[in-house]
Amino acid sequence: MAPCQQWLETLPSPSGVLEEIQRNGRDAIFKQEFPFKALEEWRLTDLNRLEDVLKLPIATETSNQNLLKTNKWPEKQKCGFRIVLHPNCQPYNSLDLPPGLRVLTIDEIHKNIGNTLGLLNVNNDWPIRINEAATHQLLALKVEGRNVPPIELIMPAQTGEFVPTRVIILLEEQSKLELLQIALGSGNSTHSHILEIHLAKEAELEHGLIACGNGEASCMANLAIMQKNSSHYSLTSIQEGWNFSRFEPRILQIDGHATTTLKGLQVSDHNQQVATHSLVRFSGPDGNLDQLHKAVSKDKSHSIFNGLIEVPKIAQGTNAKQLSRNLLLSKSARIDTKPQLEIVADNVQCSHGATVSQLQEEELFYLCSRGISLNQSTSLLLKGYFQEIISHLPAEANRWEILDNLLGKQG
Amino acid sequence: MTSQTPVNELVSKPYKYGFITDIETEKISKGLNEDVIRLISNKKQEPKFLLDFRLRAYQQWLKMKEPNWANLGYPKLDYQEIIYYAAPKQQEQKKSLDEVDPALLETFEKLGIPLSEQKRLSNVAVDAVFDSVSIATTYKEKLAEHGVVFCSISEAVTNYPDLISNYLGSVVPINDNFFAALNSAVFSDGSFVYIPKGVDCPMELSSYFRINSGDAGQFERTLIVAEENSSVSYLEGCTAPMFDTNTLHAAVVELVALDNASIKYSTVQNWYSGNEKGIGGIYNFVTKRGQCKGKKSKISWSQVETGSAITWKYPSCILQGEGSVGEFYSVALTNNLQKADTGTKMIHVGANTRSTIVSKGISAGHSSNSYRGLVQMGPKAYGSRNYSQCDSMLIGDNAEANTFPYIRSQQPSSQIEHEASTCRISENQLFYLQSRGINFEEAVSMMVSGFCRDVFNQLPMEFAAEADKLLALKLEGSVG
Amino acid sequence: MTSKDANLILEISDLHASVEGQKILKGVNLKIHAGEIHAIMGRNGSGKSTLSKVIAGHPSYKVNSGSIKYLNKNLIDIEPEERARLGVFLGFQYPVEIPGVSNLEFLRVATNARRQNRGEDELDTFEFEDLVHERIKLVQMNPSFLERSVNEGFSGGEKKRNEILQMALLEPTLAILDETDSGLDIDALRVIASGVKQLAQPDTATILITHYQRLLNEITPDYVHVMSEGKILHTGRKELAIELEKSGYDWLNNSKDLMEEN
Repeated sequence: MAPCQQWLETLPSPSGVLEEIQRNGRDAIFKQEFPFKALEEWRLTDLNRLEDVLKLPIATETSNQNLLKTNKWPEKQKCGFRIVLHPNCQPYNSLDLPPGLRVLTIDEIHKNIGNTLGLLNVNNDWPIRINEAATHQLLALKVEGRNVPPIELIMPAQTGEFVPTRVIILLEEQSKLELLQIALGSGNSTHSHILEIHLAKEAELEHGLIACGNGEASCMANLAIMQKNSSHYSLTSIQEGWNFSRFEPRILQIDGHATTTLKGLQVSDHNQQVATHSLVRFSGPDGNLDQLHKAVSKDKSHSIFNGLIEVPKIAQGTNAKQLSRNLLLSKSARIDTKPQLEIVADNVQCSHGATVSQLQEEELFYLCSRGISLNQSTSLLLKGYFQEIISHLPAEANRWEILDNLLGKQG
Repeated sequence: MTSQTPVNELVSKPYKYGFITDIETEKISKGLNEDVIRLISNKKQEPKFLLDFRLRAYQQWLKMKEPNWANLGYPKLDYQEIIYYAAPKQQEQKKSLDEVDPALLETFEKLGIPLSEQKRLSNVAVDAVFDSVSIATTYKEKLAEHGVVFCSISEAVTNYPDLISNYLGSVVPINDNFFAALNSAVFSDGSFVYIPKGVDCPMELSSYFRINSGDAGQFERTLIVAEENSSVSYLEGCTAPMFDTNTLHAAVVELVALDNASIKYSTVQNWYSGNEKGIGGIYNFVTKRGQCKGKKSKISWSQVETGSAITWKYPSCILQGEGSVGEFYSVALTNNLQKADTGTKMIHVGANTRSTIVSKGISAGHSSNSYRGLVQMGPKAYGSRNYSQCDSMLIGDNAEANTFPYIRSQQPSSQIEHEASTCRISENQLFYLQSRGINFEEAVSMMVSGFCRDVFNQLPMEFAAEADKLLALKLEGSVG
Repeated sequence: MTSKDANLILEISDLHASVEGQKILKGVNLKIHAGEIHAIMGRNGSGKSTLSKVIAGHPSYKVNSGSIKYLNKNLIDIEPEERARLGVFLGFQYPVEIPGVSNLEFLRVATNARRQNRGEDELDTFEFEDLVHERIKLVQMNPSFLERSVNEGFSGGEKKRNEILQMALLEPTLAILDETDSGLDIDALRVIASGVKQLAQPDTATILITHYQRLLNEITPDYVHVMSEGKILHTGRKELAIELEKSGYDWLNNSKDLMEEN
């Protein structure tokens, strides 16, 4: 029997607010073929690791005590609000939310959920369907006004389990939010995550995502962001330490006139495979994109970046730039990068670039010529390389030791 | 800007190579099977090794799937509806040009490629291919004095069987891809070039391909071998009459450069592209690959692609010899409903290899123009470098420009740098030129040729001006 | 050995060097003593910058033959960072921008590496901030540049001030300033020149590599050397620089031809 069919049989029966979506997800997975190499989006993926993901049992109720054993996190900030995503256990509508935040009504959920995925034509993607098939609980929030406290959204490590989570956040017109998302992984475990965000007119979101794995852990995170005009979305993402990771941020500027900033860093070491597949589609004129994606590949690891920018005819006046910068630090490591532009509008400014190299000899020499040792120079340069991304994270990210650990590892 | 001529009004200058030569043609019946292959081989009186080569390729082809990854939708081809061999009827074994049918000579003269002794180009040797066969090759004797072999591939099979059996299929294996396998099974004619050790070929070599029959496929095969310390510059040109059906052109070109050898291969492709409604035109599915086998060898591809309804073409370099160099300079222009998916593959195998890619895509009308390229640094490509620059120019808001660079590195000491941008002819620039008294069309053509300058500079002199004109012609009226 | 040679800081003998297989230096000889300021002039491509990079140990430049002795130690096999710690300083013509690396941290790490070499204690962050704020006055640089990434987005003049600030912190024995004057307006040039003058001590030596007389109006060299085609063609006193400014480099070539004819 195919791996998916076997997996489907292990799932508990559908229930709750996502019941229908679960049924649809399972149907789709049942009919779909398991991803194969001939599909462009899976061409470089280690499919064995993808298959391994399905061998883990779905996470069930977990107590906070258990989570705290494998997870270390800083005290929560006084003015901030923290939500821990417990899969399939706690209904989120009992949350004691601060002013400016409320839980969506059932109607609002049904009206909005899956919309962006559909508009982006990714609703039938395998990772999306897998998540839908497995997820019972939904965190659904509405952001109102500009004085909402910063939110911390934590996806704790749960060793030995497949952890499906799904979140939808609606930002109403002119609202503003700082969202820091932390995904942790340890042992043989998998996160499967969907986050949908709708930014209404003039809404602003500063979004940080730090995904730090460990050991055999893997992570499949999907973002679907819809931006209305004059909204600002800024994403700073860090992926590090996963045995297998596939991060798919997708942004739809539904009527253009919006600003999107994407800053990404992925670090792969040992035998890891880390991938980012990003998509930005401009479905209206005068949109802006500034994307910088950095990858560092060490030891025997494999780092993948696919970045697609779509500028259809309607998107006149688009200004988009994308840069993929890659450091290949070992003879056994590998980097694949593919920045892509699809343009059907003549009055646009689009550019992309990609580089793959070691650290720059001139920079190393400059530091060495000031008496700094080669090792220390290398580590300084790497830190600087990371810092260019890290500095864009929301402020409270600095309280997380994982960042220091990440910088400390480069020496 | 109100004073301008509307874009599309000016565009469609008639395709001036669209005439048909009325000549009696020998065609075999359409369709493909082993017997057809035996028949082609028999007609060409080929040795057994070549027939075996063809049959092996055919067996492989039967097992292969027609690719559809490039996303260029086209109606499914019926391979049993194509004629695989068509040749103008003429006397056996023409001994000299005088015996070639005057209608053929006239055709080539009309195409700007005079073949007769008096009129032929003074410093370019030409191999003229008409449908499936080579009509004539000029300057053979003069080249022979230098030991250079330049003849049709059929002739080479007879006269230089060792070279052919050594090198044919050595760069593009028979099962490389669907169209290469098909070509290997049924290729008709094409050119063969052999440059011996230490020889710099004394003149430009050129092949001119002419499709005349509307129902026959064109499957030419070119092989160029440059021995140690030799060099050659080769140019191919192509045209076809206007038919309202689509004609398949599936060529294979193989280049081999040994130590310190240098091959420059230039293409001006102007197959019939179909009319403004997208009817007719050539499907140009070509496999071109060069192997820099020797140390410090160099292969340079330059191409100006303006014709064909659909083009799939990725002239590539396998940089195997230490310090070898690969180059790809391309201008691809699409108009109306043309689709071009072109680029290169630079496979860095050896140490200290270098590659440069400069691609300029211009899309007008409702056409689609994609750059698709692969740069790969293998584990042993120490100290190797690549630089790629891919620029697109969009003319009008219905044209499509895509850039798909695939980059892979497995060698930390190598460096890859890719840049791509898109631009359009800005109103300010146009106005600036016009305000200096330059008329609109001239201003556009100046800017397009400025955009393509880096590539035109790589073309042999005789053809650079030609290419410039060709572009201007194609573009007329597409800006407004 | 004369007593003068006892305070010899740099001795270059018959130095040949190349970059990317191309021979640039073709037999350079040069002796520099403590307390001296030397100017090296010459056209673009004469090998001036190459000489400075070779002394500092840039990995792309290969020494084919000859020797570079610094304080009686052969420099050629020493790593660039070790040379810096020993007191060799190169002020870059084009200081490198390093995004993400804090200028302050960079300066502190470098200063401590040099101090360690001299047997001095490392400075902690606070001690270092005091030191850097004292030294920064010398180059009249806005302290906000300390918070930025190394040279990133600095103007030409700011980059050069940052170079001299590094020199002030590292207190080199041999400072080589490669075209430090290029791209500076006259005020910035004066600031830089006065900084360099104040840093020059009786026990240190300075090499000014320059194209123009301008810098030499501010700092009077003890010796002026003219390089051409990878060699030092002429050595004179400061008057030579003035003569060069007046008559250009052709005058030198002509005089050389004349000398050869005679």
